[in-house]
Parts: sequence; structure tokens; C-alpha cells
Amino acid sequence: MTNLLEVRNLSKKFVTPGGPFRKARAMHAVNDVSFDLAKGRVIGVVGESGCGKSTLARLILRLIEPSAGELRFEGEDLRAKTSSQMRKLRADMQMVFQDPYSAIDPRYTVARAVMEPFVVQGRSPEGSVDKEVASLLTMVGLNAGLASSFPHQISGGQKQRVGIARALALRPSLLVLDEPTASLDVSVQAQIISLLEQLRDDLGLTYLFISHDLSLVRYFCDEILVMYLGRVVEALPDTDLPARHPYTKTLMDSTFTPDPKQRRVIAPLEGEVPSPFNLPPGCAFADRCPYTTAICRTETPILTSGTTHPVACHHPL
Amino acid sequence: MTSNIGTVARAMTGFGNSAIGSAFGSWLGKIAGGFLVLLVLTAIFAPWITPFDYAAQNLMNSNAAPGWPHLLGTDQFGRDVLSRVIYGARTSLSVSATAIAISISVGMTLGAAAGYFGGFFERAVMTVVDLTWSFPDILIALIFVATIGPGLTSTTFAIAIAYLAQFTRLTRAQIVRLKRETFIEATINLGAKPRHILQYHLLPNAIAPVIVVGMLAIGDGIVLEATLGFFGLGAQPPTPSWGAMMSSGTAQLFLSPWVIIFPGVVVAVTVVAVNLFGDELIRALNIRDRIRGA
Repeated sequence: MTNLLEVRNLSKKFVTPGGPFRKARAMHAVNDVSFDLAKGRVIGVVGESGCGKSTLARLILRLIEPSAGELRFEGEDLRAKTSSQMRKLRADMQMVFQDPYSAIDPRYTVARAVMEPFVVQGRSPEGSVDKEVASLLTMVGLNAGLASSFPHQISGGQKQRVGIARALALRPSLLVLDEPTASLDVSVQAQIISLLEQLRDDLGLTYLFISHDLSLVRYFCDEILVMYLGRVVEALPDTDLPARHPYTKTLMDSTFTPDPKQRRVIAPLEGEVPSPFNLPPGCAFADRCPYTTAICRTETPILTSGTTHPVACHHPL
Repeated sequence: MTSNIGTVARAMTGFGNSAIGSAFGSWLGKIAGGFLVLLVLTAIFAPWITPFDYAAQNLMNSNAAPGWPHLLGTDQFGRDVLSRVIYGARTSLSVSATAIAISISVGMTLGAAAGYFGGFFERAVMTVVDLTWSFPDILIALIFVATIGPGLTSTTFAIAIAYLAQFTRLTRAQIVRLKRETFIEATINLGAKPRHILQYHLLPNAIAPVIVVGMLAIGDGIVLEATLGFFGLGAQPPTPSWGAMMSSGTAQLFLSPWVIIFPGVVVAVTVVAVNLFGDELIRALNIRDRIRGA
């Protein structure tokens, strides 16, 4: 099994510019993230809002320039690519966005939106344009008759399908899914998820799936990365494994099960996520963790390496 | 290039079908728009509809009161006021429209580049452009008159520069707002060059408010052209201009008031019509909040 994507020590520090009346402040949106994504696998990245999941997605696609770290895509060093080499490569690595409502130019018809990848990359589809539009729309489960519709004439779920068709038009190998179902109705969410599953099997796609919904990630993905304030705190090689990090445990305990007999007390997390600016030393989760000891406040735990189930905690469960 | 023209044409037809049609929908839009269409037609077909030669003098019949055959009377040289007002429409409309067209093309280019690229370039452009706003319009006109002499060229450049800042700021505001939309990020992620993003996404989405403000600015341009003409800095005799006609009319304000009244009324009615129609367009396009941002 070869790795499609290798991420090593990827970091992004945003610096707010200082001036005569204010100090420059640094924020580590993504801190020292490493993982491998094998061909055909689906990795889920979970974490609450503001933990750096979306920034991570944009760093991998170089939509935001990383501050440090390495990115290898199909064995090639992505960060060494010039911007024109990068533009060509983008055909192989596409993204589906969280908000389908603004992901299509309001002046573009569905047909023009799904054909834009060809225009941008200077390619032409194998058959006629009309045929290609029809086959792309059919592939994502849309009626080919929608081709001449404008975005405001179709539903949110349909828009998201157009977004997926657009991303798949050039047959990429990697698809980054940035909360593709977060702004859709629950019934539509299920349709989009089953469409994505089917497309993965049909086209042999590799997914990086970003979500805040742990139960969805456990259902959809092969492996899980749990992020907290820019760091990966736990990497689960299998979705059935029990949590080793107290944060993952709380996340897992707070998902509901459909069986009413399985009622249990949910222990909500105390406290707030600390400000990502000027983080105190030690574990970022220390203030909210029930197992905190003195060492947690002085030393930042590092993700254990060389194990099958790495965790960044001084007191793993 | 053909696809480029296609985009512009599509943008314009989209704009035309929905907005202009809808602006003509209300009775206010019908009256204001109808007047403007009539005025433009009058200016275009001036040589065929003027009853007299606008420059023909007849000192035997100077300062004649409105009546037959001079419907709006004659001025102190016995020239037909109606013919001069009709030809004045040509001067006013063409000078103002040319100036605003220059202003829009330069302003949109600067504003789009500033908004898209940001950083030091944006600051430099916006500072220079804002500087032009700190000069009174008349002063800008005087600078041109002093360097290239009085006339319609000076007037055109003065109006163009007076409104440059407005279009630059408006376009920049649109681009900065649009740049954050997901579809721009999505298109960058398809591998699009900045040129593609600007030409096929940002500018077509930013053009509607610019056109409407441009329409309103033509009204203001007419007033500025008349002002400069009134001071003798604009159209030079014998070129008929509403401002210059009013200026020459001041000498015999009480003897032959029609010489000053009719051009003044036409300027006022035109400007009101332009503003009313512009308001109807804003309502039709539903872009009131986007225009206020500039």
C-alpha cells in the first residue's frame, strides 16, 4: 500500500502585525501535524470549531502557505513546487467545501460551473461538452436537465452535488472534504455521504474527511485524527478502538446511541477552549481534563511515535 | 478573445433583461427613463430636428421672446435658443458620458487590482486616488485649463478625474467582499490564474453597482460640465453648451430671461431624471447596500 499523501510536522503560525500601539501576536492554527494517507483510504479529522481542521485542509492543498513542515503528494515535495507547477497539480487534488451556497459563482449555470475545471486547466473533455456535463451530473446523482439552472434555482443538497461534480471533473486522486454535510439538512446529509461512499468505490478515490461530527467520522472513515487547538492529540488507526486521550473519550461519550435502554449520564466538559494566542506551557487540554496533574501544566505532551495508536497525553487511558 | 466578448455580452444581457426592464416597470422609471431615451435620441438626431442653424446669427431679431418661429426665443445675437439647447444636449451628454467612461475604465482597473492584490500596492493606489478626492472639482478643472487651455478636452479630463476615486473605491469594495466567497477559493483550487479569477468571476460580479453609480455620475457630470461652461472654462463659442448659454444669458437676465431659463430647466430636469432612473435601477438590482459601502 503506497502513501498518496505524507504530511510531516506541518505547522501554520498566523501573526497579527504589531504597531506602535499594539503588540504583534502569534497564533498557532496548526501545530506539528504529521500523518500518512494511503491510496484508497479515508482519514477523518475531528475536533471542535477553531481547532485548525479547516486550516489543515487548506495547508495540504497549499491554499494557505504552511509556516513549516513537509508535504509529499504521490512522492513529490509539494512545497518545492512553483506556483505554475502547483496550478497543474491542483487537477489531482480537489476539495469539496463546507458551504455549498457560496461555492458556485451565482452568475454561472450548473453546466458552466462543472465545465470550468476544463477551461482553467486548458483541457477539453473526451466527448462533447454537453455529453461531459450530462455524465458528470449523472455521476453525482443529478438530473442532466439541471445543466442550464442557476445556483439560486436549485437546493442546498443539489448545490453540494454540483460542487462534488466540479471537484471530480478532472478525475483527481485526492479529495479533501471540508465538512461537506455541515450546512445541509440531516436527510440530505445521509444522501451526500452515501454518494461519497459510492464515488470512492467507483473512482478509487482517497479522502481526507474533515468534520466535527465524531459519529459520522466513525461511520465513514478508516482512520481518525483527533485535533485539539491545532495539535493532533490522538491518531486512531481503526474507528472501533477505544479512546486513549481523555478528550477523545469525552467526544465519544457525548455521541448519542439510538437505543433508549443505553441511556447514560453525559459528563459535559467544564471550562472553555483556551485562547489560541499566547498558549500557556503544558497540555492545552489541562484546564478541562479530569486527570490533570502537575506535569500536564509544565510539559507539552508529544504524540507518541512508533506505536500503532499514537496519543499525546501524559496519562493515557 | 471571443469568449471574453461572450462573457461581457452575457453579463450585459443579464443586466439588461432583468434590471433595465424592471427599472422601467414603475411609473417613475417610465417617466424618467422615457425622458432620458428622448434626450439621447434628440442629441443623436440634432441636425435633423433643429428648426434653425444653432450658430446662425440674426442681429435684427436679437432677444426675441418665445413664439413663432423661435419657439424658445432668441439670444442677444438672434440665435435660436431651441436649436442651441438641442445641440447643447449633444455637448453635455457626450462630454459627461465620455468622461465617466474614462473614469469607469481606469477606476475599475485600479480598484480591481488594488482589491485583488492588496498589500502595499493597494495602499499606494488608494492613497493617490483618495488624494484626488481632496481637491474640489473646479480646482481640478482649473489645473487642466491652465495646462492645456479651456475647452471640452479639459472639461472631460476634469470630470473623469473628479469621479475616479468613486469608481476605484466602489470596485475595490466589491472585489474585497467577493474575494472572500467560497467560489473564488474553489476556482483557485482548480488551478486558475489571477487573470481568470478577475476576468470571469470578480469583475462580472462587481459590474452592476459600478454601472448604476456610473449612470448617476453622468448626471453629476452634466452639472459639472455646465458649471465649467458657465465660468467660461468649458465649451468655447460658438459650441453650444447649456452652461455657456446660461452664462451668456446673465448679461440680459431681465431683458430676455428665456435665454437663461430654458437651458437651466433642461439641466435640472435631466439631472433629476438621471437620479430617479438610477434609483429605480438600484431598486431593480437590489444593490442598495453594496453602493453605500463605497
